[in-house]
Amino acid sequence: MGQIHRPESSGGRNRAPRKPKKSQLPIALLVTILVVGFGFYLNQYNDKMVVYLLFGLSFGVILQRSRFCFTASLRDPCITGSTSVTRAVLIACSLATIGFTAIKYSAFAGGNPIPGMDNVGQISFALVIGAVLFGIGMVIAGGCASGTLMRVGEGFTMQMLSLVFFVIGSLWGAHDMGWWRTNVIKESPSVFLPDVFGWLGALLVQFLIILLLYMAAVKWQEKKMGSAE
Amino acid sequence: MAEFTLDCLGEACPVPLMKTEKKMADLKVGDVLVVSIDHSCAMKNVPEWARKQGHNVEIEEIADGEWEVVIEKTK
Amino acid sequence: MNQFWLRISSNRFYKQLLKEPLSYVAGAVLLAVFATAHLAVFSKGWGVTSAFADWGAWVYELFGGNVDKWAYFSSEKAQKTLSGGFMNDGGSIRNLGIVLGALLATLFASEFKIKKIKSKKQVIAAVLGGLLMGYGARLANGCNIGALFTAISSLSLSGWIFGAFLFVGAFIGSKLLAKFFM
Repeated sequence: MGQIHRPESSGGRNRAPRKPKKSQLPIALLVTILVVGFGFYLNQYNDKMVVYLLFGLSFGVILQRSRFCFTASLRDPCITGSTSVTRAVLIACSLATIGFTAIKYSAFAGGNPIPGMDNVGQISFALVIGAVLFGIGMVIAGGCASGTLMRVGEGFTMQMLSLVFFVIGSLWGAHDMGWWRTNVIKESPSVFLPDVFGWLGALLVQFLIILLLYMAAVKWQEKKMGSAE
Repeated sequence: MAEFTLDCLGEACPVPLMKTEKKMADLKVGDVLVVSIDHSCAMKNVPEWARKQGHNVEIEEIADGEWEVVIEKTK
Repeated sequence: MNQFWLRISSNRFYKQLLKEPLSYVAGAVLLAVFATAHLAVFSKGWGVTSAFADWGAWVYELFGGNVDKWAYFSSEKAQKTLSGGFMNDGGSIRNLGIVLGALLATLFASEFKIKKIKSKKQVIAAVLGGLLMGYGARLANGCNIGALFTAISSLSLSGWIFGAFLFVGAFIGSKLLAKFFM
């Protein structure tokens, strides 16, 4: 990559005068102390809450530091054709699949109830409509649920506003849920892949889907942008 | 060899990227576009997009949480 | 004093560890590790949006509303969460943690800035997008985390179906964005 020759930059035309930089590190340390204090305070309520806080903090730091964005993974292919975030999400899913399956299988093998089955959702028309609505919403608002929270932390007033309406929308959705449950969701099946293909079969199917999507993502970017980097 | 500016301060993803893409199409080879950004994700995806397109890119942090992405059109 | 901090800011280890963004793949690996750990510790997958419905219910109750009759909140578990309050709800605390974690990461990178809303279009986008996501997440029983990432990793078919139609939504959203919000 060559040095860019900026014709007028040395003359300073149209340049905003540089503000002398101020390090935010002291504030960062202060906030850290406050957060630690909050952790101790939470501990009085329920010792599990601190662990939840720690996981939340970790997720927030990871999302912010890597600029990870689930919205971008589905939006960028539509807009620029870039699939680098899409592929990262596929990698995250494949690794988490291994970890999750290890935990689930060991519970199953030990004759215990399989944890985390709340996330094996019912497949109904409500899921389809919900997904489409959510997809439209996240692109317009510039962030999904985790992305919105992360951007609130980064200081975006736009996402603070969208969080408020996210909560209102959730309440509205919860209000209508009775209707959706009796009329649409009813007894729709939830499909846990190991029930269909067996544990090994489920993993094979899962990784085949991920592999095919990964290859499609690479090809898509090559077609749209001319390189797959 | 002209220099253009694009103010994307306060714009959320993916608007800075879309505006940059549109603006770059109007530029001639050798022209430079300076995009002002204060969105931490755009500070990653705008340069990434431009590099994939084969342009020369430099990022400069001009204030806390504010960047200028300098893109030279090469083709 | 500021000089001292600025000197740290130009240290190369500081830059590598706290300033320069990690790659997307690094983020992916870390998320997978922590999501797995979350399942191991709590026997429950990571989710974000169900806490939002509880927040809505709490605020609604502040204004004198009552959600006890709603089918969504009728289960014993939901009632327990609602009566326990914010400080006893793991999902709420975890969401607060995400906000604080992002804030800390931004501050340690010395990149924090309040980004003001610039135009009316952004207000409309935020309101509309927020409502659509809120309603959609209830219908689909989760967001990009609970119904997508955690569901797919849980070997649930619902995750893949959610993802496919999420893509349809993202496509429509991109068209709308280019047309109305740019």
